[in-house]
Amino acid sequence: MIGIGMEGSANKVAIGIMLHPDDGSEAKVLANVRHTYNAPPGEGFLPKDTARHHRAWVVKLVKKALKEAKVTVDDVDCICFTQGPGMGAPLQSVAIAARMLSLLWGKKLVGVNHCVGHIEMGRLITGATNPVVLYVSGGNTQVIAYSSQRYRIFGETLDIAVGNCLDRFARTLHIPNDPAPGYNIEQLAKKSKRLVDLPYVVKGMDCSFSGILAAIDGLAASWGLGGPEQAKADAESDSNAEHTSEDPDGKPTRADLCFSLQETVYAMLVEITERAMAHVGSKEVLIVGGVGCNERLQEMMAIMARDRGGSIFATDERFCIDNGIMIAQAGMLSYKTGLTTPLKETACTQRFRTDSVWVKWRDD
Amino acid sequence: MAQLETIDIPHLPLSLPVHVALYRNVENAELLKQELLAGNSEFEYALIDASMVLSRAHAITAIFRAVNDYMNDRLKSRNVHSEIVFSFSSTNNIADSFRKFGIADSTKDLLVVKVSVTPEITHDSVAAHLEASIKGTPVPFDDETLSQISDVAKIKKFYKLGALPDPKATGQANGTHADDAKRRLELSLLGAIALRGS
Amino acid sequence: MTDEYKPPALPSPFSNTSPAPVLLTQGAEAHVYKTVSLDPSIPAALKIRPSKPYRHPILDRRLTRQRIIQEARCMVKLVREGVSVPAVLSMDWEGQGGENGGWGGAWLLMEWIDGPVVRIVLEQWEAWMKKNSASLDQSQLEQEEERVRGLLRRVGHALGGLHKAGVVHGDLTTSNLMLRSPSTSSDPGPTGVSMEGEVVLIDFGLASQTAQDEDRAVDLYVLERAMGSTHPRSEPLFEALMQGYRESYKGATSALKRLADVRLRGRKRSMLG
Repeated sequence: MIGIGMEGSANKVAIGIMLHPDDGSEAKVLANVRHTYNAPPGEGFLPKDTARHHRAWVVKLVKKALKEAKVTVDDVDCICFTQGPGMGAPLQSVAIAARMLSLLWGKKLVGVNHCVGHIEMGRLITGATNPVVLYVSGGNTQVIAYSSQRYRIFGETLDIAVGNCLDRFARTLHIPNDPAPGYNIEQLAKKSKRLVDLPYVVKGMDCSFSGILAAIDGLAASWGLGGPEQAKADAESDSNAEHTSEDPDGKPTRADLCFSLQETVYAMLVEITERAMAHVGSKEVLIVGGVGCNERLQEMMAIMARDRGGSIFATDERFCIDNGIMIAQAGMLSYKTGLTTPLKETACTQRFRTDSVWVKWRDD
Repeated sequence: MAQLETIDIPHLPLSLPVHVALYRNVENAELLKQELLAGNSEFEYALIDASMVLSRAHAITAIFRAVNDYMNDRLKSRNVHSEIVFSFSSTNNIADSFRKFGIADSTKDLLVVKVSVTPEITHDSVAAHLEASIKGTPVPFDDETLSQISDVAKIKKFYKLGALPDPKATGQANGTHADDAKRRLELSLLGAIALRGS
Repeated sequence: MTDEYKPPALPSPFSNTSPAPVLLTQGAEAHVYKTVSLDPSIPAALKIRPSKPYRHPILDRRLTRQRIIQEARCMVKLVREGVSVPAVLSMDWEGQGGENGGWGGAWLLMEWIDGPVVRIVLEQWEAWMKKNSASLDQSQLEQEEERVRGLLRRVGHALGGLHKAGVVHGDLTTSNLMLRSPSTSSDPGPTGVSMEGEVVLIDFGLASQTAQDEDRAVDLYVLERAMGSTHPRSEPLFEALMQGYRESYKGATSALKRLADVRLRGRKRSMLG
């Protein structure tokens, strides 16, 4: 069986083509192409501009993917697309493309929950069988565990997503959005070892990031660390490595703030993940979503898992970051059980909870 | 002959046994207090006004806290014995804790505690010294005896637990209420001791 | 892939304890051991918050210290207020050896509660019902559900007492509710699962002192959600818990009103940043 996966819930439009061999042998990625819309430093990506970007790229990417995969339209069994959650306009632009292809080619549509896509892709790549999943991205922060044909949300953010917190702080500091704001924060954080006190907000298995963002934005403002001039100074002093000397007034550096932000929010994420693991009695952790690429988060999670006698599965950036393969993977699992999405039910939804998906393909 | 009990408090090392004796009708409190204030090392004891002691668990909790702080080099007062008196307190005011829990000239009921901080301090050496030094009636260090000695109103006042039901209040025929009230008061004291300085 | 788990060494003074404390659970942040109290004939639970090497040492100390103190304060307050929780027997927030001896975590010695956690009780009941409910007639089925309702109502009462005392738990799950074994027990019926005993609230690791409706409502919402994910069969009976809660103190009505808002907010929560 061959499926096409189409993803466009945020600033990436991506097409993946996946083969599930009929003999049940390992699934194969035939194509995995993507194009990212990056806003200039200091700005976030707006729905309208992002949707325009997706519309401009989606057909090119489908053609490119088919070519790379060396398959023809006839070989394709189903068209899987992200139905939510995500930003409305970008979701819609890709969904329209999916509907068009479905009608043009006479292929069934399968609407996929973006979070479930990440989970299924993570399970496929890492071989983790029943992990607690930490799903962390620009739009989502959830701790998920499977139970009775649902991916149940054990903990989540009470306000903004962790990736959104990082992205917005990157904007404050005018850190470039290319390749990703979080990546650039991570690089800057490596130049500091000094922890600045920030709020730490965990409630049960839930957490909150808006207060931390407000606090660190406040620190950046009061020490005059935000804005394009500071960012320029940063870029110029790039070569002289670590800022070791501590300011006598206790003035933090931009690197100190990035370091402290990472140490604080990742500690919170590891803590809620550990709570969920203890709660469901699991020893496996799978990190998915864009923030999952962060090496410090992976390192902290690995230490936690080791201390519990467990192990961590992290997917690499090709898959952590939004992609079409994950949508194809989850969609094909669903398609195999006979679940497809009739045309009139293909409307996208910005709010699409992970636990509302009937995971018919699992029965453990 | 002194009824000196040597207690191996669980969790404390065997090398630190704790010796405890309880006296009633003490006649020489003034002298004992003087020796203590003069820093006479032979009289280095925790000398506690037993009317401020609700129960055995109350006393042992304070002793345990002091000895644990002693083992971790965290004493707030001169030595482990003064620390035991201080450890009965729920506040950080050392002088106040000595006034409330420490021996006074008028003390008649006295709880004496000695920790074997050196190998020379043994059950026998302590027993002999107490017999020679304390003019009073040795009584067993148990809850029954303490219940006759303790001044519950005073204890509740110091720990600011006035709102708690009174274990000695009469009129509750079946006794379980009184037991419950005492238990609740006792557990509240233990909590207050544990939280001091937090 | 997974090595046999070895808990970290016990902090002072419990390295002296004989017999050695027995590890019962490794929770998310704490290890709970069974040991004796300061009276060797009375058991006690020892909760150790070991240092968390994954987080920055300064953050680690700050959180560990803050939390164990907050936890103990809440428990001591609840004991004073007569709410059914384990009493604090002793504690140490500075860890093993303090500054010089290295940071080893903080500990809390508390009263031992003998009995099962509600989670196990409900799990056993649900497992039995899943397998055997077909063998029960209508009145037996109703009786079984009524037993669970009765238990949940008592849980509601306990939570009402907690909130009335000005404390919210912060991490209410059925794993943090125990049933203190009664001295005499009656016939548990066809399922063999006893639901008797005083409801005791445990693990105040995330508790805080507050009397705000919002905090109370979130407390209930967290439990409601945890019930939904761990006890799907008992979830429809959750209303009994609300009823018990409503009956237990004056402020319950406004907290429950707030719960309706929190639920709405929770379900419709935007997945966008």
